[in-house]
Amino acid sequence: MRHKIYSVAIVVTALLATTSLWAHHSPSAIFDMSKRFALTGTLTKIDWINPHIVVAIDVKSEEGKIQTWVFESNPPSWFRRVGVGRSEFAKAIGQSVMVEGVRAKDGSSYGYLQKITFAGGNSLELVSPSEANTR
Amino acid sequence: MNYRFFCIIAAVVVLPLVAAAQKTAGHPDLSGIWTYGIDLPPTALKKEINGTVSVKGIDRSASAPARTPIPGALPSTPAPSYKPEFQAKVKHLSDNESKLDQVFYCGKPGVPRIGPPRRILQLPNEMIFLYEDISGDPYRIIPTDGRPHRADANPSYYGDSVGRWEGDTLVVDVTNFVEDTWFGEDGYFHTDAMHVTERFWRAGENLVYQVTVEDPKVLTAPWTMAPRVVKPSNEPLEESPACVESDGSRLLNNDHHGQR
Repeated sequence: MRHKIYSVAIVVTALLATTSLWAHHSPSAIFDMSKRFALTGTLTKIDWINPHIVVAIDVKSEEGKIQTWVFESNPPSWFRRVGVGRSEFAKAIGQSVMVEGVRAKDGSSYGYLQKITFAGGNSLELVSPSEANTR
Repeated sequence: MNYRFFCIIAAVVVLPLVAAAQKTAGHPDLSGIWTYGIDLPPTALKKEINGTVSVKGIDRSASAPARTPIPGALPSTPAPSYKPEFQAKVKHLSDNESKLDQVFYCGKPGVPRIGPPRRILQLPNEMIFLYEDISGDPYRIIPTDGRPHRADANPSYYGDSVGRWEGDTLVVDVTNFVEDTWFGEDGYFHTDAMHVTERFWRAGENLVYQVTVEDPKVLTAPWTMAPRVVKPSNEPLEESPACVESDGSRLLNNDHHGQR
């Protein structure tokens, strides 16, 4: 089954090293850090849990079949400290979103969310801390 | 004349009142809300709302060793010294940290790994420490009235604590630990003989936190960690969401990664 998986960029080491996909395990032990990809689908669930928040989206293949993709991201305590609560995700449940991230090496429909763009164009993105220092 | 009079009044009346307000029963006041001290991802958040872009980073200072010398701090070393017969075990644990460290699987970090408390309530005869942690939100009640350790307490992750004042430093003596925890992420295991001494003191508006770990069964000498400087915070404590670990089954290697 083919899905709308678009290779957004192949970014090796430097950027990802600074925009660390902090996980409580080494991200490179789980995710393919060399390829960032994007999926568009319907946001179905947001679990505000430790050690990572979890976002689920239903993606429709070109054949019309639905497959659920699950993405983890930074921990709730991180999102809280950058001023984002569960509601910012939850209000988009049922709507189309685009998720960008990296995929699990085990080939499952699982990834690490680095950016989510909501239907109206608003977005949340994990970026290098140096970007915060320049503003 | 009026200006000089004002200065004298300020020096004689106001300054002692300010100093007194910072002390409780003759001791420095450590109470307050303190910056979150558990390591978090270094990433910042870029937020675009209706065309307006903002980027916000986080303050990770309380989770890291102080970058400059801190007055009053004990000499520290970067790592503990294990007896030769235990060094291979430490390396094995460290090399396989992603799979063996219980903190990665929602386990309790225990003392001292949990770090400084998020909130301190200072009472005349006891200190109450409140924490936020992904494994739950523990608390500690630490008597400071001179009583000894409890003889009937069961071993626990956060141990049995008693506190005392040494000058302006609160010294918390902690014993009676379970053996499940590590006192550092690099495979720093311990035995039931672990004895932790936590020191807290004020440096201006900040709180300084320094830890010494002793375990004569496995260490060649006590290990004193570098102090941490913890800034005051106005961010209220919030219940930590449930911890549901799901990454373990996806690990394809033992890549090492630090959490705390």
